[in-house]
Amino acid sequence: MGQTLVEKIVSRQAGRPVSSGDTIDRLPITKLFFNDVIGPPAIKGLANLFGETFKRHGKPVQVFDRRRIFFIPDHSVPALSVEVAEGVDLMEAFGREQGVKVYREGDGIEHVVLIEGGHIVPWDIVLGTDSHTCTNGAMGALAFGVGTTEGVYALATGHLYDFVVPETIRFELTGTFGKGVYSKDLILHVIGKMGAGGCSRRVAEFVGDGVRRMSMDARTTICNMAVEMSGRTGIMPCDETLGAYLKGRAQWPVEPIESDPDARYADRMTVDLSSLEPMISFPHKPANATPVSRVEEMIARSQAQPTPDFPAVTSDRITDAFLGACTNARYEDLVEAAKVMRGHKVHPDVSFVVIPASRKVYERAMDEGILQVFIKAGANVESSNCGPCFGSHMGVLSRNAQMISSSNRNYQGRMGSREARIFLASPATVTASAIEGRLADPRKYL
Amino acid sequence: MLTGAVTSVFGNDINTDDIIPAMYLIKSDDPEYFATYAFVKFDPDFRTRCLKSQANIIVAGKNFACGSSREQAVYTLQFNRVVCVIAQSFPDIFYRNCLANGLPLVTLEDTSGLALDDQLEIDLDAGLIRNRTRNTSHQFQMKTDDRRTFQAGGMTARVRAHLEEILTRQG
Ligand code: SF4
Repeated sequence: MGQTLVEKIVSRQAGRPVSSGDTIDRLPITKLFFNDVIGPPAIKGLANLFGETFKRHGKPVQVFDRRRIFFIPDHSVPALSVEVAEGVDLMEAFGREQGVKVYREGDGIEHVVLIEGGHIVPWDIVLGTDSHTCTNGAMGALAFGVGTTEGVYALATGHLYDFVVPETIRFELTGTFGKGVYSKDLILHVIGKMGAGGCSRRVAEFVGDGVRRMSMDARTTICNMAVEMSGRTGIMPCDETLGAYLKGRAQWPVEPIESDPDARYADRMTVDLSSLEPMISFPHKPANATPVSRVEEMIARSQAQPTPDFPAVTSDRITDAFLGACTNARYEDLVEAAKVMRGHKVHPDVSFVVIPASRKVYERAMDEGILQVFIKAGANVESSNCGPCFGSHMGVLSRNAQMISSSNRNYQGRMGSREARIFLASPATVTASAIEGRLADPRKYL
Repeated sequence: MLTGAVTSVFGNDINTDDIIPAMYLIKSDDPEYFATYAFVKFDPDFRTRCLKSQANIIVAGKNFACGSSREQAVYTLQFNRVVCVIAQSFPDIFYRNCLANGLPLVTLEDTSGLALDDQLEIDLDAGLIRNRTRNTSHQFQMKTDDRRTFQAGGMTARVRAHLEEILTRQG
């Protein structure tokens, strides 16, 4: 019987063939990273939980392998408070002491900078203390978000415990996107079909011609949102595009990987990319997805049968727009959004925040005149961080706000007031909406 | 044996942002700090209800505590004296965080027999919920490994033993 990507990677790490359902007592991992929210408590946790054990062996507290661990201050930087600043200090001190890489504030978002830096390669088992660690699945890696304690365990021993090999759902993508339709629209469509819990306990494997034709920037957007249908993670094979991306970049040996033709899947879904149109997810969950042509119907539906996670939306008016986050603020996202923005102004009633996902993206977009397009149009371009996505920094929403965002979560209260309404869409749709001051179709600008 | 009162009944897809909003996460690394802000944007009355009972049980629909991996969601519940969550399903990250911290999670396909204020006894060994208020009982499945981890209050002891092995090998 053939194996899925997940089964292959776990088999190699576990040192024996495994299939879905098997439990691995101790699974060695290969990469581990922390952000500024969980990094500081994890560093303290390492000493608290394991300090005694190290001491008994006459050793200082030490991490399992300094080359495989990264700290990335991204959520609330440049530090928004004394607590955050001190947390960043702690990560820096720990990095010096242990010889572990700590990024600088403004270097970018965790799920972007490690990939850019060539630190993630196919066959990796990646743990990050953030649910969007699944983004790294686009690299042919098995990537899981974990909490603080599992992060601390891994810091000490380099293992994940009692790991149950998950089943996989296979998403076969065919065809090519029409004008103004992107990988964000595809993943919003899929989440809408699957529901918030539709991929629960299973891995979403994305394959097919549709994937093969996609750039790495486009692929990461898809894997990023696998968790929004409760996927254990998202994953893609390693093909020529990924191989080319890693050339001269990879810090570790690169070996291709793909699932076997006779691998067993829990379920399958095929999506023809050419059948999609721009999508918008309504508040308060990503699964409330609708094609842009049906926004009015969706508003009417929200008023007819409001529920706690699908509240009544009273208008299509937009007060805030955000182009950023680990989902959609990579180079190509900015290029596409700038195509829409060029020759237009941000609507006078809209606050438009643009945050490139990393310093590298920022610099390239600046050098190529892309940032200038947004700045001249009246947007606020900020240094790289999570921005309003995290709800505490650079554009927190008031109770009256209706935000359209290129990020991945529109939960109630996620970006500020619990009364605020958040819509999710592609960078192009966000920008078109920022121009019009209402939910808009980007295709007429392209 | 776990005993307590059902003090909250929630629907499907409650997320960890609902349990503890992001903005509080960066204010403290003391696990107890978050308890005050439990469900503050989603169900502001949650904490008041929890304070009235010595042991709280949450009953929820599908996919309870989806979304962000923040383990603070687990502390938020534990420091509000939540002793068990019974839901139709749980996503993996939250489930694993609860294993690590020893907060027992019971998966029950049909939760309709459980209501607010019911007094429950939960026997993890027998896989049985006894509803003292209604004189009914419900059976549930739990993997043996998970049951042991919940009962041991988490995985730390095992990981310590593993670290011992590693350090001994290193000499
Ligand atoms: S951009 Fe948003 S979703 Fe991504 S890591 Fe930051 S807070 Fe999380």
